[in-house]
Amino acid sequence: MNLKAPPQGLWSQGWSRFRTSRFGVAGAVIIVVLYLAAVFAPLLTPYDPIAQGDVPKMRFVAPCRDHPLGTDKFGRDVLARIIYGSRISLTIAFLAVAIAVVLGTLVGAAAGYCGGVVDAILMRIVDALLAIPRLFLLLTCVALFPGSMWLVVVLLGATGWMATARLVRAQVLSLRNLDYVKAAEALGAGGSAVIWRHLIPNTLTVIIVAATLRIGGIILTEASLSFLGLGVPPPTPSWGQMVFEGREALMGAWWLSTFPGIAIAVTVIGFNLLGDALKDAFEPRRFV
Amino acid sequence: METLLNVLNLVTVFESEEGAARVVDGVSIRVDRAEAVGLVGESGCGKSVTALSIMRLIPSPPGRIAAGSVLFEGRDLLTIPEKDMRKVRGNKISIVFQEPLTSLNPVFTCGEQVREAIALHQRLGRAASKAKAIEMLRLVRIPDPEKRYGSYPHQMSGGMRQRVMIAMALSCEPQLLIADEPTSALDVSVQGQIIELLGELQERMHMAVLLITHDLAVVAQMASRVIVMYAGVIVEESPVRSLFEATAHPYTEGLLASIAKLAHRGDRLSTIPGNVPDPFRLPPGCRFSDRCPKRFEKCPTAEPPLFDVSPDHRSRCWLCGG
Amino acid sequence: MEILKARGIRKYYRSSAGLSFGRGALVKAVDGIDLSLEKGTTMGLVGESGCGKSTLARVLIRLEEPTEGGILLGGVDFLALKGRELRTARRRIQMVFQDPYSSLDPRMSVGSTIAEGIRIHKLARGAAVKERVAGLLDRVGLSASAAAKYPHEFSGGQRQRIGIARSLAVEPEVLIADEPVSALDVSIRAQIINLLADLQADMGLTYLFIAHDLGIVEHVSDTVAVMYCGKIVEQAPTEDIFREPLHPYTQGLIASVPVADPSGAKARAAIPGDVPSPMNIPPGCAFNPRCPRVMDICRVEKPDLIPCGGERIVRCWLYH
Repeated sequence: MNLKAPPQGLWSQGWSRFRTSRFGVAGAVIIVVLYLAAVFAPLLTPYDPIAQGDVPKMRFVAPCRDHPLGTDKFGRDVLARIIYGSRISLTIAFLAVAIAVVLGTLVGAAAGYCGGVVDAILMRIVDALLAIPRLFLLLTCVALFPGSMWLVVVLLGATGWMATARLVRAQVLSLRNLDYVKAAEALGAGGSAVIWRHLIPNTLTVIIVAATLRIGGIILTEASLSFLGLGVPPPTPSWGQMVFEGREALMGAWWLSTFPGIAIAVTVIGFNLLGDALKDAFEPRRFV
Repeated sequence: METLLNVLNLVTVFESEEGAARVVDGVSIRVDRAEAVGLVGESGCGKSVTALSIMRLIPSPPGRIAAGSVLFEGRDLLTIPEKDMRKVRGNKISIVFQEPLTSLNPVFTCGEQVREAIALHQRLGRAASKAKAIEMLRLVRIPDPEKRYGSYPHQMSGGMRQRVMIAMALSCEPQLLIADEPTSALDVSVQGQIIELLGELQERMHMAVLLITHDLAVVAQMASRVIVMYAGVIVEESPVRSLFEATAHPYTEGLLASIAKLAHRGDRLSTIPGNVPDPFRLPPGCRFSDRCPKRFEKCPTAEPPLFDVSPDHRSRCWLCGG
Repeated sequence: MEILKARGIRKYYRSSAGLSFGRGALVKAVDGIDLSLEKGTTMGLVGESGCGKSTLARVLIRLEEPTEGGILLGGVDFLALKGRELRTARRRIQMVFQDPYSSLDPRMSVGSTIAEGIRIHKLARGAAVKERVAGLLDRVGLSASAAAKYPHEFSGGQRQRIGIARSLAVEPEVLIADEPVSALDVSIRAQIINLLADLQADMGLTYLFIAHDLGIVEHVSDTVAVMYCGKIVEQAPTEDIFREPLHPYTQGLIASVPVADPSGAKARAAIPGDVPSPMNIPPGCAFNPRCPRVMDICRVEKPDLIPCGGERIVRCWLYH
């Protein structure tokens, strides 16, 4: 079928396809709201998420008009902690995924383009690292170097690049023998120029989709770490940590673990919806 | 000559973000029993979509058959239920596609695929349909058919695969074979073999052939009547000799002139300037007018109908009438 | 003046699709080719699928390294060059690709695609780059406004023009055209062929024109070489080879071409059988299983290329 594509750039084509997906738009809305909440946190709640309130009177207050999601054992407003906590979770997730994606792209592109020995070595490293259970790796590192949020970010990134590397490598392998890549080589472009100018731009959609879908996973991983007490150190609010702290009082003050848990779930769902819709928009299945 | 297939005013539309394109825009084709008709045109003219529409194989979004009828054996194929259509496909009307590598299932042997085509339409047991399949492979001149029965598509050359496709298509002795660019993906030396084979089979099985191609030379070899399409409509229709010797449409003339013929080494090839129009942005009036060397004032104002140049030769050109 | 000289080019692969463990079957894609191009002329290279013509093209342009052989480009040993010298030398020989739909990067604007060569070799800077791109677009018959658009907005023929402009940007001397019009519509082919002819006349380009359409090859070439199973089997000036082909394969090819004339001779299945797979080349003369004039010696011994009058060479026992 030779119908000419409409004269738009490839990004706007993808965008118009994306707009037709209701789930995708819903996911995007969730994410946008979360980010806005994180940015405008001080405007949304008068309470301080860290400072302890008037402990004897304010502790373990059930959800009510003053405190819509209740307070915790230090008298801190749960809603405020969730809102400020979104800053932590979203920042960590974003940075960690960024590190993982950049690292993975470089390794995958090099492996896919160079082939031969380079490819073999890099992929064996990937395989070896993938064989180690990620949580163990994280726990070990965090136990050795406790107490820093930035460390958590770097570690999450450094343990998460392998899947992206494989994905990028596969895409680069499929592009590598196309005529336009050969033409660039014939013109005299060196390997890094070919990778940078031709292979990576044509892999971007794959990378973006993969990254979006991973953010959800990283948020959960971070939450798990915090739940195990090895994530962001208190009193900085992090959702995982809040779930952890609320464990003890689950029977009585159920709101302490439940609401942060819901926040995690909603965020992950939002990113997954967004990622799936982006995938359909930029890698549509063609008819016939 | 008895009419076998009569397509009347077929309109097939494809929807896209830019609107609906009438890829086939009012096409009427007649094929008589045991006749070889050539359907010629370049990419985007709608010839393949016409073939798929006859077989009701248009993918339903984004395409749909919007109007017209396809009369075959007294019924309009566009209105019969799908289960009846399935009894027609592969059985009464078969189709052979251009690229045999993607038309054959790589996981099954070629023999199996031919046998399956037979078993689908005829009530034959396994042994009987296998025997028939081997006969079909022999018919299409595959050497050593008993052994080749067990070969997989990737183990065979392009020419062989195309023969297997033809064997599958002919296994139920259809009355009409639609061949969509059957030789375009093949080497020159093999093209000759396939064209010869199709000609022989057509005579032997008293079968009609609708040969779809962009190659006027192939049509000259095989067809008795030729239909030329451009941008979704028929622009010329005539017996094959008159098409070449008394061409009545400037597009056909341009096509013939631009072929680099053997033993005619010259300075410049004659060309048709410009490009095939975008189906969403057709020029006003005659669709060919913006590229036509013989255009005059009337051409961009109204689309010409098909005029009769002689009893069996028609042309859609204001120079021929009106 | 001889601008390209290739001697004894061989390109062998180990196919991974082998039946035995360890090394796969040896694929002799190109098996001893000598080629000489005179400046300003066109050599047509004809052959069917699997004969090795595309592999030969890639080797000549050094997209792949030959297993054996030498290439002199303008008198310089092309294969010995490395690094910056190689990069500069690459300007002299460029390629036009077959498939207009995969030969342009879909994410790059047409202007960037054409400018890539200019940028790599620093042939111009800043605004001068844009001027050059506009000039090249004009030269291939496209308007300057095309530079801002993307490949998917153009038809097959227009994309080929863009590809040609990209090659011309580095001011090459030799252009290898690998089936440049096979994927195009009939009426567009003539446009591109004429364009290539004009460019050759204006710029003194030398062409190696690879095609399977004999009519086009006859039209554009000064000499024609016919390839079969990795070797050249006949080579001669165009008029000679078409007027009186000597090798049975060449004769068969010419006879197989369907003629656009309903009252003319029907295309015969002039060559029986199939093109052999490069993994399974018959012993002796590779064409012997299909040859209508095969003799006993053909099945056993491989013939060499011998001169056969004028500038002709043929690889066939009939002429020894």
